[in-house]
Formats: sequence, C-alpha cells, structure tokens
Amino acid sequence: MSVAAIWALIQKDARLYAANRLFALVTVLGLVAYIVIYFLLPATVDETLHLGVVTPTLPSALAEALTDDAVQVTYFDTADQLRAAVAAGDVTVGFAFPPDLYDQIRQGQQPTVELLLAPEVTPDLVTVYEAVGRELSFALIGQALPVTISEVVLGTDLAGAQIAPRQRMLPLFAVLVLMVECLGLASLIAAEVEQGTIRALLVTPLTMRGLFVAKSLFGSLFAFGQAVVLMAITGGLAHAALLNLTALLLGSVLMTGVAFLIAALGRDLMSVMGWGMLALLILALPSFNILVPGLAAEWVQLIPTHYLVDTIYRSLNFGAGWSEVGVNLAPLAGSALLLLALGMVILQRRFA
Amino acid sequence: MSEPAIVAEHLTYRYGDLLAVDHISFTVERGEILGFLGPNGAGKSTTVKMLTGQLRPASGRALLLGIDVARSPKRVQARIGVCFEQPNLYEELSGIDNLHLFARLFNVRDLDVDALLRRVGLDGRGRDLVGRYSKGMKQRLMIARALVHRPDILFLDEPTEGLDPTSAEAIRRVILEEQQRGATIFLTTHDMYEADRLCQRVAFINNGKIVALDTPYNLKQQYGKRMVRAELMGPDGAIYTREIVLDRPETPAEMADLLAHERVMTLHTEEATLEDIFIRLTGRSLV
Repeated sequence: MSVAAIWALIQKDARLYAANRLFALVTVLGLVAYIVIYFLLPATVDETLHLGVVTPTLPSALAEALTDDAVQVTYFDTADQLRAAVAAGDVTVGFAFPPDLYDQIRQGQQPTVELLLAPEVTPDLVTVYEAVGRELSFALIGQALPVTISEVVLGTDLAGAQIAPRQRMLPLFAVLVLMVECLGLASLIAAEVEQGTIRALLVTPLTMRGLFVAKSLFGSLFAFGQAVVLMAITGGLAHAALLNLTALLLGSVLMTGVAFLIAALGRDLMSVMGWGMLALLILALPSFNILVPGLAAEWVQLIPTHYLVDTIYRSLNFGAGWSEVGVNLAPLAGSALLLLALGMVILQRRFA
Repeated sequence: MSEPAIVAEHLTYRYGDLLAVDHISFTVERGEILGFLGPNGAGKSTTVKMLTGQLRPASGRALLLGIDVARSPKRVQARIGVCFEQPNLYEELSGIDNLHLFARLFNVRDLDVDALLRRVGLDGRGRDLVGRYSKGMKQRLMIARALVHRPDILFLDEPTEGLDPTSAEAIRRVILEEQQRGATIFLTTHDMYEADRLCQRVAFINNGKIVALDTPYNLKQQYGKRMVRAELMGPDGAIYTREIVLDRPETPAEMADLLAHERVMTLHTEEATLEDIFIRLTGRSLV
C-alpha cells in the first residue's frame, strides 16, 4: 500500500468534491449558515413567567403569593383585556376571576375562574396552572392552606442557568455538518462506480485496501475539519476540548461508514440523496431529543449519534468531563468501526 | 527464447448458469498484436477481465509475463495498461490531472505529460477539463492513460469504435509505435479492417470458445475463397456480374471462356474478408 498513491487519491477526491458545485456550495453555505444561526439564537433563556390577573380586589395575601423574581404579574380591568394580552403573546398565563366573585361565594354558588393559556404552554403544565388557580382562589377569600412548601432540587439546579437555545442547537449543527460531508462522499463514490473510474483505479497497483484507506481518510478528515471549525468558532471547544475533538473524530469515522453504505445502495445522485435523507433523519434524532426533552424514548440510545450528541451536549452545558461522558466514546468508537467495516464489505461488492 | 507475454490455460468463467468463457487456451508472444474478435456476448470482455485480474477464473489459469494473474494480480497490473471500451475518465479534472493521478498510482516520477499528450494528438488540450473533450479525444486520453507507465502488455478494448477517421488513425499509429517499443498488445475489436491491418494473429471467439486462431493470411487461405469478379455487358447492353472461383482445376478454362466470349467491363480479384470467415465459422455476424 503506497502512501503516495493514497495521498494522490485524497487530493483527487478533494478536487472532485470542490468541482461538484452542489456539494461545494452546500458545504460552505451550510457551515456559514450554522455559525450565523448559532449567533442569532438567544444566548440566554427568559425564565420570567408573564402572568395576567383580573380580580375584583388584591388582598395582601395574594400580592405576597405573587411576589417572585421569576413571575411578572400584570393586572387587567376586564377578562376581555386579559384575553387580548394572552392572544398577543404579552402574557403567558391569565387568571380571570369574575367581578362578583365574593357575592357568588356568599350566595353559596361556585364561581368560575377563567384560565387563559398561550399556545406555547405545554399540556403537562395545564393541570399545574389549574392548581395554581385554585390556590389563588383560596388566597383571595382568605383561606390559604396552612402548609409550608419547601423546595429541594435534586441534581443540577438550572434555575437561573437554563440552557440557551443556541447551546441546545450546537450538537444538531455538528451532526448536520458531518452528515453533509457524508452525503458528499457517498455521492462521489456512487459517481465513481457509475462512471467506471473505480474499475480504472483497480487495474493499477492500487489495492482495494488502499482505495478504502484513501476514501476513509478523505471522508473522515474532511468532515472532522469542518466540525472543528464550527465548534471552534462557536466556542464549543472552550471546555473539554480533547474530549469533544475525540468525539467529533469518532463521529466523522461513523459518518464515513454511513457514506459507504449509502454509496453501496445508491445508483445515482438522486438515490444517494434519498437514502441519505433517511439516514440523516435517523442519525439526527438524538439531537432533536435535546431540543425537545422527552420527545424520544430510550431506544434512541441505539442510534450511534446519541453518544456523540450526548458527549458534546453534556460537556458544553454541564461541564461534564472524561469521567462523566468518556464512557460514551466506547460505544461511539465501536459503532463507527462496525459501520465502517460493514460499509467497506458491501461497497466492495459493488466495485467487483 | 523468452516466455510468452500471455498464456491462457483452460480459462473458464460462469455467470450463474451461463458459461461465459468455456475452457479457452491460447498464448500471445511478446511484441505481438493479437486481435480478439467476436460478437457482443461472445465472452471477449470476460476473458479480458480474467486476464487483467478483474475477475477470478472459475477454473484454468492465466499467466502474464510468467506471473499467475489470480495469485498476484497487483504484480501483473503494475506491468499492464488497460484501455476500456467506455470512457471512464475523471471528467471534472483536466487531461493532465488524469494522467498525473495514474502516474502516481503506478509510481511514475518522470512522466513527460506533454510528450504523451503529443503522441495521442492532444497537445494543447491537456489543461482542458475532460468533460469538454469529444469522444475521440477521450478515447485518445484513455490510450495515453494506459501508457503512462510504459506497460509491457496493453489491453485495448474497441479503441477506435465510433471515432472519426482522424482519431482512429491516431490511435492505430500509437498501437504500432507501442509494438515497435516492444509491448504486447491484446486488441479487442469489431473492426475487421483494423484487425487485418494491425494484428499478427487474430482469434475468433464465439459462445465462450475460440473457434479459430491464426494469422489473417492463413485464415483467409484456410477458410476463404479467392475469386475473380467480372462485370460484363450483355447483348442488350445490361451489366451483369460473373464470379470465378480460383484454385480449382476448371478455373483456367473458365477464365479463357470469359475473356474469349464475354464483353468484360471490369475485372477484380477478390479474397475473403475476416468477416466472411467469421460468418462461415460461426454462422453469426461480428456486429
């Protein structure tokens, strides 16, 4: 296996990649777009709850109950005004007590308190706000429950230290960068098979092993390089740099294996794109799990990119180091090598 | 005497139930141009793939330059040049970049790329992207690519098919130059004129078997009919033809009769073409 021959093939692949306007453009624009989007996304999280209240009076007990840095209360004269504020997005949750609240209670009737919710309030929180409404009602009629609530946060207290949207998105951006290179490599290989250039290469002293070494090095290093640029510019390497670089390198090898599989399945650019989109959807799933916690089930851990995403996410946002997330690297490396070997075996059958 | 450049011994290959190549044996001497002729599906490409190490024979063996191809394909491939029928160049790269890539794969450090391009008539076009080349130019670049390492054996698969006369002639000239250099050439072609003109020997392959292998002259002598074709004018002024087969006892009398009693307008000697001989041997046309 000649080092000069492998280097010649890597240079050739780099030139072919650059000559493919679609992938060259997607690569450059994609990288720029991810970085721009990252910096456009909020760097902090607004944790304030915007509460609207319509109430006939404001007893001191209620005022005290609502005194909290995390809650901003706005008082409205009528339920209609409160509805308009919720609809406009100025208020997240509104409680509209009837103007004759006390009269109804005195007459033994059961007053209706209107709970107004902004669309972004998740269903699991609706019952919480219903309970809050009952508690406020008790407070209004001077019958606060004689209990004291003691707050204990088990684990990392994220109050005041919520993870900013840009930090949640960063692992997804890293996977997307790797995936674009994966599609580009798969497309290059499929084109080589289709145009017969692989046959021309393999009737030279170049061995099949040498060919795969060259393709693996090109795919992995090209993807890794771009992921490093993304992480470096977005500050993703500020903490546990070696850990994250290792995870990204293994992720790049993993994507190269996926590229081999896609190239083995795809006959032309369109079929490569089709299989690539399917792979992208599956491999990006662990990133979505971070964007929307609780979205996916435990089986997401079967997807190899989970270990890449989890490593980056926890090291960036929770300061996790080798002792906490280093264990992720073993399944990541194992799945990367497995996919690479599988991709080579299947792709080799297409070369024959 | 040096060993033959190519020795095929009972080479056989199957695609499933189809016996594509059926125990063929032949040798090609060093410096020889062998024409390998046969219709589509006859087994030509499969034979070439086995000889060049792209396919492993089901049985039999091939020795190139004394090396067993199946056992040491890379040793063989380092010393052969292959020009495929279909252009398989990197079209997004220039002609020069294509040649340099393959030179590096063959570990050639002193490639005179300009001289090589000049030989195949592509001087001045080397820096153009191959995607902008005509079919003839691509074919000539493929020949140049097969020559970057000065191979001992050249495998050329339909190198002039569908080319304009200028490109075809340029390629034939290079083939003869390579033979003069000492290279052995295995030429697969449909072009009988080309085979007749370039090859020392031709092999006819049909249904996976070699049905004849000899010099074009001997094949014509053995299987062809030499004849004289005369165009004659009849009493009514109409032109008609008469053919007299040579090499028969009655030929002199027929010739004398022709000249004595007919009004001869034209008189041509004709010999069988390789195409005629192939049809006679196989009952099939070459194309």
